[in-house]
Amino acid sequence: MHARKQPDEVLAPQVVVPHPVLVKTKAAATAVRPKVGLTPHQLRLSQWREPLFSAVLWVVSLIALYAIWHFGTLYRWEFYIRFTNIPTPGDVFQKLLEVNRSDKFATNVGISVRRILSGFGIAILMAVPLGLLIGRYRAARDLLMPVFEVLRPIPAIAWVPMSIMLWPTNEVSIVYITFLGSFFPILLNTIHGVTGFDPVLIRAARCLGAGEGRLFWNVILPGALPQIFTGLAVGMGVAWVSLIAAEMISGQFGVGYFTWEAYSLVNYAEIALGMITIGVLGLACSGAIQLVGSLLMPWSTHSSAGRK
Amino acid sequence: MEEERKGAIDIDSVRVTFTARGEIVEAVSNVDMHVKPGEFVSIIGPSGCGKSTLLNIVAGFVKPTSGSALFDGVPIRGPGSDRGVVFQQYSLFPWLSVRKNVEFGLKMKGTPASQRETQARTLLGLAGLLAFENHYPDQLSGGMKQRVGIVRALATSPQVLLMDEPFGALDAQTRAVMQEILTNMWQQFQISVLFVTHDIEESIFLSDRIYVMTARPGRIKAEITVPLPRPRTPEMTYTPEFIGLVQQLKALIREESLAAMGSELKEGGLSGFGIEVGPRGVEEVV
Repeated sequence: MHARKQPDEVLAPQVVVPHPVLVKTKAAATAVRPKVGLTPHQLRLSQWREPLFSAVLWVVSLIALYAIWHFGTLYRWEFYIRFTNIPTPGDVFQKLLEVNRSDKFATNVGISVRRILSGFGIAILMAVPLGLLIGRYRAARDLLMPVFEVLRPIPAIAWVPMSIMLWPTNEVSIVYITFLGSFFPILLNTIHGVTGFDPVLIRAARCLGAGEGRLFWNVILPGALPQIFTGLAVGMGVAWVSLIAAEMISGQFGVGYFTWEAYSLVNYAEIALGMITIGVLGLACSGAIQLVGSLLMPWSTHSSAGRK
Repeated sequence: MEEERKGAIDIDSVRVTFTARGEIVEAVSNVDMHVKPGEFVSIIGPSGCGKSTLLNIVAGFVKPTSGSALFDGVPIRGPGSDRGVVFQQYSLFPWLSVRKNVEFGLKMKGTPASQRETQARTLLGLAGLLAFENHYPDQLSGGMKQRVGIVRALATSPQVLLMDEPFGALDAQTRAVMQEILTNMWQQFQISVLFVTHDIEESIFLSDRIYVMTARPGRIKAEITVPLPRPRTPEMTYTPEFIGLVQQLKALIREESLAAMGSELKEGGLSGFGIEVGPRGVEEVV
């Protein structure tokens, strides 16, 4: 869109005498013609063609996935992977109606969402400020990074036994695992957002009179924001992984627990329902992050450099 | 009245060294440079001659190793909004709209929001950018971005504008227009300008005075006063006076570019080809 409108020269104020060497290019000016030969109807059509095409492809890809599931379970495919015991889409739909007759399922979902929100929320509150400090100040980096570098390679799931010993209740230990999963992606991306900052912007702010405090709030934080949101998106994914694993291992309640319990009870439709629920919840969470991101960073929608 | 005008820069016997890979490199050697209030002064020289370093001293980003750098008689201690800086890489804040970018310096000063907006819009109007006040920098062309950069630097009412090859990234046509816009704004605001460039025609067209620097370590090789009357017009670039100045400057800079290349070639070990490399040697080959 923007590449097309560059009204620079149109708006340059007065006195613009063309450079004599360039005057002979008068013909070039008339060569720029508006698009002709398209009726308004055709124009409208060409405007819609691209998004329409995208939408068609989306639907096709989703239908393909559904078709594999449907026909795989209908004809009980068996070629290395086995659809023998896989529930059909109809089974799962029936199960969905069935579990909603009591509030047990809804409670499980609610508990998982609550754990995600608290674990992820605490991770944001801790990782973003720490990341900004570590990125900006050498002393903070030297003091904190050794600890983080030692702890970081330990996957959140490996913390499960220790976490149960460490925290007073099972609930807190699961929130802790969730927190841990999202903490490091957010922290590292925030640090990177600060250190990868264009130094000329800091200079510009400095010579416009910004002291350290204002520089931090008005320049470094907004400048690091796109990278922070990358961290949030990654962190949210890892938070779900950690939560589901923690619920499966140590859990009481939660979607992960629901799914694992279904496996123990050989209830195939409930396994699939649990998986789909986790998928939908994860999708909703990353969608929410994207939404907040585009609300907080309206400028970033104007650059999608790598997209063809 | 004349004495009240500000924007004087006084650089006296300034020397800048820095350490690179354990070796001490002299970037600027014993430079004297003076800008009078309201004057337009350019620094020109081969690449790597330390002209940006000099500008950064005035901006407050670089401390001279020895010598003194005064702004309106006061030693320069760090960056400040009394000296507006325009960078080659535009350096607009991508998360702020055009108007908010211009308001930034005023916000740092604590100017109330309504007043900020009025001032920013007035300045944007002068630069022909009012229609784009709510655009983000990514939506603008290079020439427009740099106009915003200049307007932003002017917004805090600095006494001097420091410009580091501000039009270096623009195409020739846009650059010519930008030079005229800059001249207009300079005359309107009556401030001093210190302008770093490697474009000879640009420096003559814009400046009252030009400092020519030597190859590293940078020294002042010549100081040239441009006698062309104001306002300057593009037609002036065809007068014998202008062409004479271009030739004079080209000769001065060619010597230094060859010297700079000569030392690079020597470092690269090309002397083994039996060519006597150095200012003389290269000149004979070329």
